[in-house]
Amino acid sequence: MFDIIASAAANLPGITGYIYPNEYELQWGLLIIIYPYLTGLVAGAFILASLERVFNVSVLKPVYRLSLLTALSFMIIAPLPLLAHLGHPERALEMFLTPHTASAMAMFGFVYAWYLMVVLLLEIWFDYRQDFVRWSREKTGLVKYVYLALTLGATDISDKALAFDEKIGRVITIIGIPSAFLLHGYVGFIFGSIKANPWWSSVLIPIVFLFSAIVSGIALVIVIYMVSTMFRLKRLDMRCLNKLAELLLYAMIVDFSLELLDFIHRLYESEESIHILSEMISSRLFVSLIISQIFLGTVIPMVSISIARFGKFPAEMRRLSYFIAALLVQVGIFSTRWNVVIGGQLFSKSLRGLTVYKLDLFGLEGLLMGVGLLLLPFLILWGMTKLLPPWPDVEEAAEARPALT
Amino acid sequence: MSRIPQQVIPLVVIFTLALAALIVGRQLLVPESFGDLGHYRADAVGEVAALDISYAGAQACLDCHEDIYDTKQEGHHQGLSCETCHGPAANHAEAPDEFLPLVPRGRDYCTPCHGYNPARPSGFPQIIEENHNPGESCLTCHNSHNPATPESPQECAACHRPIVNQKLVSHHTNVECTTCHTVPDEHMSNPRLVRAKRPTEPETCGQCHSRSANSSKNIPRIDMQTHGNRYNCWDCHYPHSPEANR
Repeated sequence: MFDIIASAAANLPGITGYIYPNEYELQWGLLIIIYPYLTGLVAGAFILASLERVFNVSVLKPVYRLSLLTALSFMIIAPLPLLAHLGHPERALEMFLTPHTASAMAMFGFVYAWYLMVVLLLEIWFDYRQDFVRWSREKTGLVKYVYLALTLGATDISDKALAFDEKIGRVITIIGIPSAFLLHGYVGFIFGSIKANPWWSSVLIPIVFLFSAIVSGIALVIVIYMVSTMFRLKRLDMRCLNKLAELLLYAMIVDFSLELLDFIHRLYESEESIHILSEMISSRLFVSLIISQIFLGTVIPMVSISIARFGKFPAEMRRLSYFIAALLVQVGIFSTRWNVVIGGQLFSKSLRGLTVYKLDLFGLEGLLMGVGLLLLPFLILWGMTKLLPPWPDVEEAAEARPALT
Repeated sequence: MSRIPQQVIPLVVIFTLALAALIVGRQLLVPESFGDLGHYRADAVGEVAALDISYAGAQACLDCHEDIYDTKQEGHHQGLSCETCHGPAANHAEAPDEFLPLVPRGRDYCTPCHGYNPARPSGFPQIIEENHNPGESCLTCHNSHNPATPESPQECAACHRPIVNQKLVSHHTNVECTTCHTVPDEHMSNPRLVRAKRPTEPETCGQCHSRSANSSKNIPRIDMQTHGNRYNCWDCHYPHSPEANR
């Protein structure tokens, strides 16, 4: 009924029902989807690293440094979609000069700075310091001086100094876990606190964001670990990979349960928005929510990991299964971000109509820009692994050599 | 000093420098009047106030164009400032012969307010540009200073097209608007000042839907005493499309 009138009279293709003029066009597009996706990967990868460090899950040692570098690479790029979306990047630092304590978005600058400078960089520095000193002595040419600069002048690698590094690294990781929770919980909080939007306004959103972050981070590290090991022509550590798959499965079970809880809660509360939200899910978000997020991104990976991990299969089959599951999880988590950001803007605040989101190919908010922003962290990670090799075999070889003190 | 581990020293230096840069940056970069009135630069208010004024204001127009002003006061555009359509005209008020204000003649000037938009209130004059005398200037039929329609609309659909469209495909298609709404004659010529009345009591619906109503037997009946309890009919049923899910 409403469809006929609005689309015929207003001559706006794709729009159905009654919708306010400022709602035809979505203000938050692909770049805003990418932003929580990237911060989620950062938080997830860091939490994975902290399992090895704080909880002594030693089987994860092969991916400890890789997780940290992954978190850093994605962290560096995370603000770029926001800067590109807002424009005027020269104003970005003003939020530090004139902090606006009443604005959740403005204060996020401090959360970001805390996480980047106090948690990630410090942890990586303390972890690599011993190697920086070694490499600055072993290498020649310009690289030698790069490593020397990275030591920041702290070249003491006596047992006492290394014990201090280990201790302080552990403390930073302990601080880092709640910080990683804060980082991505905060992103969820920004959406969850928008009380005028029934799709976003939920106290569960920060928790759901957090667990989906852990899921995406673990899955990303699985993919990067498998691909990098293949290119390095090394053997995968199956114990580590099995543990990663297990952790991914457990995180997915918690994440999926929380999302189901949120869904059931909404259905049971059945507020006045329930009709339009149901219509949105069954029409506009059907592919990205039901097919991509739930079926492809959650159910299939959960089933395939469960079968591969706990069934009797050859390692080859297991690896393939984990790899496909981890890739599908990325598709699923990206869809989750898509559904949150786009879904919250597809329905009218009149609760009587739906609009459409059309993704451009070119331009600042276009598909190509999005693909570029998603590839950039991998490029940075590749560069970082050249400068700071995170591979356990390199580490072991270094440890096997006599100390240079 | 010797008890402080070597690796802590460069970090302390770096963090101290970063903190110092922040403090110095704040001293140098934050404008002096920032925060005096709110989370913005208070001097900006004075700077904006000191900008050249572009608009003359309606009073300045009235001084010379009293006849047009009087015409405008008689019509629906009485609340509209002259410069809404004619653009900023402070320079024209200063030097009337030197600067002439804009005289809008194209359709584009009227449609920002009168183009059909479902969010506008029903009854506000709106046209679908493609259907409404395409290519013709609005001024051919309407005097923009007193834009009464050339003739009074004969049917409700002339102004309330979206509602009529909706009703057309509902079970109420054969129900006249006046069955439920009381429409004074003057509403046709002066719709904003003399409004049509909406029903206030469930009995309006009861004319056809109560058990005792003298209407077609195919019409759904309800017990007016018990059905819906304390609610009015239109709290649950949308009268222009009563089968819609609300």
